[in-house]
This record gives sequence, C-alpha cells and structure tokens, in this order.
Amino acid sequence: MTAVGAGPYETLVVERDDHIGWLIFDRPDRGNAMDAVMLAELERAWQELDADPEVRVIVNTGNGSAFQTGLDVGQLASDPEALREQSRRTKRAELRFTAWHNEVRKPVIAAVNGTCAGGGLHFVADADIVIVAEDATFLDPHVSIGQVTAYEAIALVRKSPAEAVFRMALVGRHERLSARRAYDLGICSEVQPAADLRDAAADLAAKIALNSPAAMAATKRALWGALEAGLTDACRAGSQELVAMWGHPDQTEGPAAWADKREAQWST
Amino acid sequence: MEHLIIEKHGSVGWLINDRPDQLNAMNSAMRDEFADAWLELDRDPDVRVIVHTGNGRAFQTGVDVSEIAGDGVGFERYRESVESWDLHFTAWQQGVRKPVITAVNGICAGGGFHWVAEADIVIAASDAQFFDPHVSIGQVVAIEAIGLMRKMPAEAVMRMALVGRHERMSAQRAYELGMISEVVDPPERLREAAQELAEKIAHNSPAAMAATKRALWGSLELGLTDACQAGAQDLVSMWGHPDQTEGPAAFAERREPEWQPLY
Repeated sequence: MTAVGAGPYETLVVERDDHIGWLIFDRPDRGNAMDAVMLAELERAWQELDADPEVRVIVNTGNGSAFQTGLDVGQLASDPEALREQSRRTKRAELRFTAWHNEVRKPVIAAVNGTCAGGGLHFVADADIVIVAEDATFLDPHVSIGQVTAYEAIALVRKSPAEAVFRMALVGRHERLSARRAYDLGICSEVQPAADLRDAAADLAAKIALNSPAAMAATKRALWGALEAGLTDACRAGSQELVAMWGHPDQTEGPAAWADKREAQWST
Repeated sequence: MEHLIIEKHGSVGWLINDRPDQLNAMNSAMRDEFADAWLELDRDPDVRVIVHTGNGRAFQTGVDVSEIAGDGVGFERYRESVESWDLHFTAWQQGVRKPVITAVNGICAGGGFHWVAEADIVIAASDAQFFDPHVSIGQVVAIEAIGLMRKMPAEAVMRMALVGRHERMSAQRAYELGMISEVVDPPERLREAAQELAEKIAHNSPAAMAATKRALWGSLELGLTDACQAGAQDLVSMWGHPDQTEGPAAFAERREPEWQPLY
C-alpha cells in the first residue's frame, strides 16, 4: 500500500495498491459518522485519488462494524458552529463529499462492510457499483429524528425500484433492509461474507482496471448524464460521447490486444 | 434480405438475425436491412405482434468489429448518423407502433443490448448470457445502457458497462433484476414460448396497444407530472374509437373481439 496525496488524514485511510485506490472511512468508534473534519477530508481524498495517475479504479469502504452512518449527530448537537459551512453547502446543493459530488472520472466501487444509515446512503447512491457484506444493513433514520430525506433517496429512486426507497425513507429507524434484499432489488450486485469483502472488491477492481480509462470516463459521463435528461435527449448526448472516442488510440489498441491475446496498453 | 429473415406465423411477425457464423454481429448491410424490416413488419396488416430473435448460438453481438477493422472505413461510415442521432436499426428508433418481443437465444453482447433496451418485452433462453465488452476494447457504452438504466436497476447496468468483457450476467440474474420477464427452459423451447406470448398479446386491441406504447415510451422522456399529462392525451385519444365499444360487447357475449386494424 502506498499513501496517496499531500498529507496525512485524520478520519480517512487513503491508499493505493497497484492501480486500485482505497478510500476508507476511519472513525470506527463513531460508526464512521461524518464530522466537519471528515467532510472536508472527503473532498480532498476524492480529488487526490482522481488526480493520481496510478489509480484506475477507486474502492470506498469503512473500518469497523459500520460502513457509514451519515452526519455526526453528536457534533451537530454539541458544536453546530463546526458544521456551519456544511449547512451552507447543503442549502445551496453544493455538497462535496461523494465521488459524484466531486465529478470523479474513474470507476467507483462502494464496498458496504456493515451498517449503512441515513447520509451513508449517499455513498451507495453516488457509486457506480455497489457490493456488500452479507451482514450489512441499510436504514434511513432521518424522519425518526425530525430530519428530511432528500438527496440520497432522490438518486436511489432513479437507480433502483422506488417503492423500497420510499419505504426506507418513511419507516425510518424502525426497520432495516438486509444485504440479501438489497441484492434482490438491484441496489447492489454482489453479496460476500464480511471477511471476504475487501478481497472481492479488489478482484472486481482489478478486472475494471484492465479496461480503457478513457472509454470508462466517457461511459460514466454518458450514463450519469443520462439521469439528467429525457430518454431521447440523453441518447442524443450519449451519441456525442460515443463519437468522441473515435480516433482515440485506445480504439485501435483494444482490438489489436484482443487479436494478439495480450493485455491492452491503454493511453493515460 | 441477406442477413435477416422475416417470417409470419399467424398474426405474429418474426424478425430473425441471420449471420450465425459472425454471432449475428451487425455489418453495414445488416444495419440497412433492419431499417426496412421494422417498417415492413409494422406496416403489414396481417402482423399484430413482432418477435425478434437470432439464429445460432448468439442473439446479437453488436457492430461487426471485423468489418470495422478490415475495410479501412471503420467507424467513420457511421459518424454522421450517430453524431446527428439519425439511427434506424431498432424498433424504437423506427417508431414501430406494434408490440415488440425480443427473444434472446444465446449471447447478447455490447451493441446487442440495443434490442433488449429498445424492445417492449424481453424473454430469454435459460442459457442466454449478457455482457458489454465495449470498454475492454476502448469503446464507450452509451445509448443501449441509457435505455436500460430507465427500465431496470441502474447499478447492474453500470457494473456491466464498467467491468466489460471480464464478467457475464446470467439469464436468471437478468430475470431477478427485471431486465427480462421470462426465462425459458429448456432453451430449445424459446421460440415456442415467444410465439405463445405473442399470440396472447395479439388478442388485445391494436389501437389501444399502440396508444399505450406511445404513453409509456413517451414517459421516459419526461418528468413525472409532465409524463402523466402527456399520457392523459394518449388515454383520451382512444375515447370514441370503435374498439372501446367492441371490447366490452365481446366480453359480454363471450366471443373474441373484432378489432379495427392499425393501418
């Protein structure tokens, strides 16, 4: 493992192993809840991982028994002043703590290692691919403490069957969605024993790292962009992304490597 | 037609990909034939439902890469039509008004997803396999996946798009995710099952199904309230149509309804 970025992190572990960048929530005694420090560090971490030329794919997971439990309600109660900047960003829809917020161009895998609650759902909704530990659970307690669910559920409603999202948002802390049900609903694509989750994420990331970085970046732009528009408009915009790759060196290297039965050497 | 077969079985029109040695990959000649075939079937008064499938061990594997690689013209032949969004090889692109069932008979890869995303109904043989190798050969995934993401859980679509050729999805998982609505086992029964489903659909009012297709596909273009308002126009467009009296009358008299032809 190699450290990534300019300096140490207090609330995250940010590392690189071969072509895989790891962004690991590291406040295990607080359920990895996001305080003001973590919120600021997340923005830096996504940008450093996206900018690191050695990193081709990013895995986001957590240390301890929780994946992510959203805003640190303890800090909100004891020191609201510390979160003033984040409150301002929330009002203006200028959040910067997920890969999507930071317009990360590389593929992002969320590996949900345990409880994913409330604002933790941002990291599920905003990832490209989601895999989960078999004992992971999902819940959204916002309305049980008088808070509104918006951003994270809005994205989930576009990406998965909506009834399940409405139910989570309205039942609040009184019920949890299991890993198995999340798989059945297509919220995630893989369920693994907790002990194997990081290995499974690394295996998946290694496969993705074999693909053309430029083609994947354009694919991400086309598919996430499609969530913004009607079908025909989205296809029309997507067709521009398709054509934009024509003539790119990866487009001759890909078929050539295929024919030569060797790994492709993608341009960076 | 050189690369497609059109057949009629009762009121069901069949469109069969017929380049089995190339895994039904679409060369430029086949691409042109698709445009004509969809319109021919849509306008044929004897056809009420269309089934699309393939000969051989693949359903469809997208653009014929050997033609692209070998003739010096490459993707440039398609640049103008893609840049100007002027495509004509699927039922959706051709504005087909009749119900379209895609019956996936084997491998469905890359551009083959166009005919999954852009069909009304999709069934598959139990040994069908789905994967999208575009990014593994330096190509972008766009149109097919954009359509699929509106019709099924998006995470699975993004995973296929980004993992590329290094993983395949089974027919069973496609069924669980709602990408397809029926897995046919044994796989040899696929065409029989597609014909049975098509014959059920052929009992319904052609005009009502055409308006329903307009409303539902149109809804994918819009926000919820706007889609409902546009859908209301499609709903009301049938009021006063002869099928609306014939339907209840036939039900009361326990006979098959005599629907108005679509054309």
